[in-house]
Amino acid sequence: MEKKLLKKITGSREASLFLVLVILCMVIQIFSPSFLTAKSILDMLKNNAVIMIMALGMLCVLLVGGIDISITSTLALSGMTVGMLLKYNIIHNTLLLFLIAILVGAICGAIIGFVVARGKVLPIIATMGFMYIYRGLAYLIARSQWASAENLGGFKNFALEKELGLGILNNVIVIVLVCYIIFFAVMKWTRIGRKIYAVGSNPEAAAVSGINTRRIKLLVYTLMGMLAGLCGALAVAVYSSAQPNMLYGKEMDVIAACVIGGVSMSGGRGTVAGALLGSLILAVIAKALPLVGIDSIVQNTVKGCIILAVIIFNVVAQRMMQKENLKGREM
Amino acid sequence: MRKQLVYAFLCTAAISGILAGCSSKSSTTESPASPQKTEAVSKDGAGTGGAAGKTFAIVTKAAGNPYNEKMAQGFQKVIEAEGGTCIIKHPESATADAQVSVIQSLISQGVDALCIAGNDENALQAALEEAMAAGIKVSCLDSKVNKDSRQTFVNQAGTTEIGQALMDAVYDISGGEGDWAILSATSQATNQNAWIEAMKEVMKESKYSKLNLVEVAYGDDEPQKSTDQTQALLSKYPDLKVICAPTTVGINAAAKVLQDEKSKVKLTGLGLPSEMAEYIGNDDAHSCPYMYLWNPIDVGSLGAYTSIALVDGSITGKTGDKFAAGEMGDYEVIGASDGGTEIILGPPFKFDSSNIDEWKSVY
Amino acid sequence: MAGKSGRTISAQAEQSWKKSLLSWEGMLVFLFFAVNLLCMIISPSYKLTNVLREMPKYLTEVFLLLPMAYILILGEIDLSVGATVCLSATTACLAGNAGIPFPVVILIGILVGTACGLFNGIAVTLFTELPSMIVTLATMIIFRGIAEIALGSGGSVSLKHNEGFRALAGKIGPIPYIFFAVLFAAIIFIFILSRTSFGRRLYAIGSNRTTSFYSGIHVQKIRLVVYSVTGMMAGISAMFLVSVLYGANTTTGTGFELDAIAMAVFGGISTAGGKGKLTGAMISAFIIICLRIGLGQINMNPQVILVILGTLLILAVMIPELLKNRKRKQA
Repeated sequence: MEKKLLKKITGSREASLFLVLVILCMVIQIFSPSFLTAKSILDMLKNNAVIMIMALGMLCVLLVGGIDISITSTLALSGMTVGMLLKYNIIHNTLLLFLIAILVGAICGAIIGFVVARGKVLPIIATMGFMYIYRGLAYLIARSQWASAENLGGFKNFALEKELGLGILNNVIVIVLVCYIIFFAVMKWTRIGRKIYAVGSNPEAAAVSGINTRRIKLLVYTLMGMLAGLCGALAVAVYSSAQPNMLYGKEMDVIAACVIGGVSMSGGRGTVAGALLGSLILAVIAKALPLVGIDSIVQNTVKGCIILAVIIFNVVAQRMMQKENLKGREM
Repeated sequence: MRKQLVYAFLCTAAISGILAGCSSKSSTTESPASPQKTEAVSKDGAGTGGAAGKTFAIVTKAAGNPYNEKMAQGFQKVIEAEGGTCIIKHPESATADAQVSVIQSLISQGVDALCIAGNDENALQAALEEAMAAGIKVSCLDSKVNKDSRQTFVNQAGTTEIGQALMDAVYDISGGEGDWAILSATSQATNQNAWIEAMKEVMKESKYSKLNLVEVAYGDDEPQKSTDQTQALLSKYPDLKVICAPTTVGINAAAKVLQDEKSKVKLTGLGLPSEMAEYIGNDDAHSCPYMYLWNPIDVGSLGAYTSIALVDGSITGKTGDKFAAGEMGDYEVIGASDGGTEIILGPPFKFDSSNIDEWKSVY
Repeated sequence: MAGKSGRTISAQAEQSWKKSLLSWEGMLVFLFFAVNLLCMIISPSYKLTNVLREMPKYLTEVFLLLPMAYILILGEIDLSVGATVCLSATTACLAGNAGIPFPVVILIGILVGTACGLFNGIAVTLFTELPSMIVTLATMIIFRGIAEIALGSGGSVSLKHNEGFRALAGKIGPIPYIFFAVLFAAIIFIFILSRTSFGRRLYAIGSNRTTSFYSGIHVQKIRLVVYSVTGMMAGISAMFLVSVLYGANTTTGTGFELDAIAMAVFGGISTAGGKGKLTGAMISAFIIICLRIGLGQINMNPQVILVILGTLLILAVMIPELLKNRKRKQA
């Protein structure tokens, strides 16, 4: 009986991640009692909202066996668009600005999807090229200027208000929750979700069974772009400023979040829960290190070591599991 | 054979695209913030034309930062008024590495003078020595490079004066005792390190003995990172009283965090009035009682006049040289603390609730 | 990564592979001359002395291109080379400032680089299930993190006595040493790749790792060697970089890995593995370098240069694929 429960826990990647998260939080709570307060947790969620939302998009991209390192450039481009529209007093409506940002992101993502799916360019190369292109475009739109708090007017209040959350939860957190719920439902219960998993697990089999792999790939990159666009507008609201070098270099954080969450980089494996837990673990680590007294200069090394440890642990656990399974067969 | 022709055609197409891109880029973007060669526009009565026919270049720390933009604007306005050609160069990234490539490119272009805001005090020495050997007059502004890499340094305000002003502000706002922290830019920026050192020197006096500097955090002049660092400071040090941010990006981010969270922690430092207008005030609702800065446009202008004076020979950058800086008056080159020389623009200027509305539209 | 399903093994396909490779190199040579002509037209400062002055700094990245090509041919990727350069440069500068004589400092720098590469190699060979991208992503963060710790709060170190490194930046006639070093290294790497069995084994492993293993090729040993050599070249690159900067800081070497990959791919090396020639990569490296120097001399906005480079990269990969597809449809 015990063996079965243990097997279930270690078998499910998500469950073991959850355990890790709980242990981490408890340990940090001991060091710094202010960690698990509601305010502290909500603050952490708000600051990591962008990474968490983009992890969802990256999950889908990784699931089909691709990768997208241009996400922060798309984010910067849509964020700058919003910033410039506000700065030059062209548009002020918050909802409209969000829609425009999502649209810009969708177009960026669709172009990438087209190049990858139809142009048959390898995702790492295509997205590397577009990373340069979109970032450059962001600078060009900005004409090398920033949009600061003054220019943003009422838009930046979006990150402070609680309208969407019925007065209880911050808007940003509500958006994160909504995104996760939507994606969870889609990936688990709809046909499109199943198709994405299929294309990633075995592209040939998927094509042969009638799934239009090209269209799914296009969809996946467009989704990623849309989420990146949404995050662009969100980042501008949260940080009250729009500048072309927003989130430069942070795409690796998003990929790391997914990998820690158990998403396989060769496609076909990974869940929304995994992406959530992965990004939460990264967020907790980032927030907790200074609280535990680890000098901020050591942070990056610790982050890298943890990622390495997690993926090695993955492999070791998997090998142990395979051995277990083999033993079971050798009846 | 046909494939070869197709490839050749594609190459030609790509190259003509680049050619077209070059020419269209040079003509369409005419905002002062774009880095291209702008032709001389001599204005009557605005200058003595001492720069006629010469090319002057300014190299900023990074692209996009409003402070850098205004500095470059000031530089360009003076150069063009004096009849010279101005090149504004932004490095590809906010690193000394990228600035080396810029400097080398300017040497190749044969500019007459180069004025640079260094991303690192020492890393540019090799490139700048090569520039000086090629006959280019090298000066720096805003963020200096070491004494062997420059002929002189246009300092926006005396380093000790800035340190004193900021330290006094911290003393005043905190009530004379308590924890305080610094939120800086990048860990290599010369000006940041100089001002932090100056503050620490001032703090050695017994008057400040009850103030406790708990941490120097680095926001890398990025709003996100500065925001994260501010929040980290708030959660790490519950008894924090004052944050001093001697960088316009840092103070902006910190002001927003403090004001949004209605924190008791107060803020001071160096900030652009246009960005900080809504955060300056004496009551609880505003996070920053007062702050300091100087006019970055003037820094750029003085840099321009210095370059012109170096090129036409009226100064060589040694102590005691005097020159005229147009309507800004006369300036003298004095000795700097690192063994080289510097030119000081003036004392730091205090912004508080009484004058912020007047200045927020100027810069 | 996505499966390598689109590969045909018929002899006819082999012929068209070879033909397209040949014409790609030819086109690159043509493009090289065209780019230089273009630069001479648009920039009056584009003279030999000036180009020789600006090239050394860009040439430091070419040292990384050579081993990166090997890694790409193996079908893997190494994102940590930039961080290795940073760590190697940092160690060398700190050692130099501690009074260690110059020749030993160079040795230390190269050893540190090799050690980093060895670490990567051990990690990927011990845990073969791990995709190299995620391992090198983690080590990238770790290596740069270690450099950050070593550099302390100042974030940078400058050489107190730079005579040794100054000598490294010396010239024979008008040509700086680094040219000869790069040429020498390139000849060795090209020779090994095209004329030795080691090189052929690299292609084999890249095409099909399992088959190579079963044909008796020591796959893991070769991978270990390649990663270590990558580290060593990163160390050499770092030494030349220090001779330009007389110091190191936390941002040294950022972006080197992406530049190396871009140059390799532009030169015809496929990231799917098993394809590509180093000569093409070298020519494309010089094309990109000359273009950057030329466009920099007309003071083109660096972001516009990025957009152009990104577009060229994507076109360079997409167009051959599209033409190949059209030919296949015709056939």
